[in-house]
Formats: sequence, structure tokens, C-alpha cells
Amino acid sequence: MQTVPTIKSRPVYSPVEIDQAVQQHLFIAEEGAFPTLSDLYQDCEGEKSCWIVGQESADKLPKGCHFIDAQSFEEAFGELFAKLPISSNLYIAGIREAFVWDIHKLAIQAGLAPEQIKKLQPLSNERRLFCTHCYTLTEGVTYTPFECPGCKRLLLVRDHFSRLHSAYVGVQINAEDPNDIPPKEELS
Amino acid sequence: MSDAAIKVKVSDIREVAPTIREFTFTPLKGEFFPFSPGSHIVVEMLDGTKKIRNAYSLLSDPRDPSSYRIAVRLQPESRGGSIFMHQQVKLGDELSVTPPSNLFSPDWRAKKHLFLAGGVGITPFMSYIPEMLRRNADFELHYLYRSTQTGAYADELQSMLGEKLFTYDSATSPRADVGTIISGCPQGTHIYICGPESLIESVLAQAEQTGWPKSHIHYEAFAAPKPGKPFVVELKKSGKTVYVSGDDSMLEALEANDVEIPNMCRGGVCGQCITPVAEGEIEHRDEFLSKQEKDSNCCVMPCVSRAKSGRITLDI
Repeated sequence: MQTVPTIKSRPVYSPVEIDQAVQQHLFIAEEGAFPTLSDLYQDCEGEKSCWIVGQESADKLPKGCHFIDAQSFEEAFGELFAKLPISSNLYIAGIREAFVWDIHKLAIQAGLAPEQIKKLQPLSNERRLFCTHCYTLTEGVTYTPFECPGCKRLLLVRDHFSRLHSAYVGVQINAEDPNDIPPKEELS
Repeated sequence: MSDAAIKVKVSDIREVAPTIREFTFTPLKGEFFPFSPGSHIVVEMLDGTKKIRNAYSLLSDPRDPSSYRIAVRLQPESRGGSIFMHQQVKLGDELSVTPPSNLFSPDWRAKKHLFLAGGVGITPFMSYIPEMLRRNADFELHYLYRSTQTGAYADELQSMLGEKLFTYDSATSPRADVGTIISGCPQGTHIYICGPESLIESVLAQAEQTGWPKSHIHYEAFAAPKPGKPFVVELKKSGKTVYVSGDDSMLEALEANDVEIPNMCRGGVCGQCITPVAEGEIEHRDEFLSKQEKDSNCCVMPCVSRAKSGRITLDI
């Protein structure tokens, strides 16, 4: 269960259902995350297709499922989303939260409404971190404080989430005294 | 009316359809504010001792500060605002209006804009169109009217918009099929509706059935408050008692008794005039409060809503 975040920008993932009135359904999963979508995919009686970003994995995948690599999905999805009928829904499952929101952003740019983009809770606690001092983006951050690879500052990983960068914001935790090194904590 | 009120002069009156009259206002001094497409002003009408304030969409070019234009449809069944505008207001008269405010602004992120106008509901789109043309935006106007009553600006729009305009005159042709109009829209289309409630409801129902994204459907639902049964309002904190006649809105009756309540649209949309209820059941007629808020009877929008029975108490 998700706890209600105290920071408003932290995403909350509501349960996802299939609206059978919708004409076209697009299921998108990061490699290894499809099992989260499989029940929904089964339940969906409408026109549907499935895209996996990455390689084939041990997961049982639907027949006719498309594969695309992480380098080319931005352009491909941009075009795909723009051509969808207006009555369409997306369902996104990711290991990483940043993946889910990168796809969300592409869909918004293509003209979809937020309520058409159904996001499932990401499977890992890995965060993309945005350093507010040197603007470096770091993937896969799981604890706080975290040393920024860009500027070497020790960053407090906040729950403040930037939808622009699909990243959590990091600010220096020991600006007054760089020798003050607080203990590491696992992120939720 | 607040200090921000603008004094205007009626510099032109034109009949633009059998039941619709257009008024041009020019400022008594200086220039008007430019406004954003879809804005409205509230016009104050002094009918004897009675004050009526109705909101009307501006239909002039938003970037033209030399005049404001509005169009008023005669509604003989209403509380008198439109009758006053049609019968009392003469060329050269001075009136008070509020500065423009906007509750129906286009969403510029749309890939395509689809306008659905019903009758006098063409007015907000008259201010959209010049801006849409300047920005080279992709748009279509579907205009539904009955030429024996409405249909203002149809010819002018035809020459301005050409293929972007689709007209449906119910006096000479079958009714427009809303389902067909909205079903062909590409991804990223936003729909804007201004017209009778039945038009808005049929689009919303169609959208629900066909899985359209709701947040891409915008509508201007406000209209002058409808009359109802008279009732009495008691004010718990100030101890005042205010009588609301059948033709007055609760907000108008409160104002007539020097109870000032912040307000903007006066049509149950903007939420400015929200007032806590202490006792008595409310007949909610607004578009602002959620169903839960309405059911809980916690508050009321006095601009349009009324008492269910003869008496209510407000917590002010």
C-alpha cells in the first residue's frame, strides 16, 4: 500500500481499470514489468496492442507484442501517440518510476489528456535524481543522502518530484558544514 | 459594484438576429483593457430601484481596446435582464460594467480546437476567432441555430472562415448530429461548447459513450439565474433578515440589503460567492460545488441557488 505523501508533487498511483467504451488501448511496459499489466491486458476486450521497451525476458508476453529499444522509443512513441484515435488509453508499467513518467510526458506532448494515461505503481524504489546545483541527472538512486556525480555535493534526495525531468529533486544536505555526513537511509 | 467598475457609453445598437441585439460600448475615458478570448463582463442594469447584474461574453476582438461588444438574446421568461437591455437601453446611455474576467479560455496546448455554438452561444467564439486566426491555430466552428430566432453573424463568419465553418439551421434543415461531429476528431482535439444545457449534455453523454477524454471538453454553462419561489434568508452572525423575491437571486437580495459577498461570474461557475450554510435545505443550481458538497448542505452559491423551503440561515 502506498502511504499518502506529504509532498504534493510526489506521484500517487490509483488503481487502474479498463474503460470498455474506449476505442483503442495501448499497453507499454519496461522490460520485466509486463506482469503488472497482464491482468488488465486480458480483461481488455477492445482493440489493443502491447509494446515492450527492451528485450524479451522471462515474462510471459502476449502474442504479437512489439519490442523497441530504449534509444528509439522516444521518436517511435511520439509518432505512434499522435496517430491514435482520440478515444484511446495508455497503460504504462515500469520497473523505474522515471520510465513511467518519460512515457507520460511523450503522451502529453502528443496531445493526450492526463486521464488517458493510466500509470501503474513502479516496481522498484529507484529514483532519477536531479541535482539542483549542477543539474546533473542520475539514474537508479535508492538511498539518501547521495553524492552527486556531477558536482560531488552530498544531496538530500527529496520527495519533491519534477514531472519535467521525471526526477526527484536533490539539494545539498551539509552546505554549512561539509564534514557533517548524515547516515544513509533507504528510499521508499 | 466594486471600485473597479468601468463607466461605458452605449455607442451602437444593432439587431443581429430576430431575438438578438448587439451593443457596442465605448469607454467614457481612456481605453478599455485588452482581454483574453472567452472573457465576459458583468453589466449592471438599474431598472427603477431594482439592480440586475448579468454576465455577457465579449464578442469583439480581444486586442481592440477601443470598444467592447456584447450580444443579448431576449428571454421573455427570464428575470428581466434581457428585457431591460432590449427595451430600456438606448443609444448614448451610460452603463457600469466590470472589467473582463475569463472562465472559458481556450487551451492553447490543443492540437485542434472544435467549437460548438448553439444560438446566442456564438458570442465567446467571436472573441476566440481573431486570436485563433492570428496564431494560425487549427480549428472548426460548428454553429447550430434557428434562423427564425438566432443565427447572428452567420454571414460574416462564412466569409471570414470559409471551410472552417459548419452551420446547422434547424429552421431549414435537420438537427445537427453531435455524435458525427465529435467522432471524427483527431488526437489532441479540445471541444468547446457554449449553448443551451441540452447541447452540453448531449456532447457529454456522447463523449462518455465513446470514451472521449473529459478534460478535453470545455463548456460555458453559466446563464442568468433562473427565478424560483420566494424565501427568507437569516444571517446568523449579523442577525439580518433578507427577503428574496421570486425574481431576485439570493446574491442580488443580499446586495440590495448591503451585504457584500465577493462574486465574479454570477452564474454558478466561478466559485467566488461560496457561503456557509447554518440551517435549512438548499436547492443547488450551480456547476461549482461537487456532489458531496451539495449533499452535505455545507455551503451555497447564492448567485444561482435558492432555498428548498421558505427559510434558510447562512453562517455569515
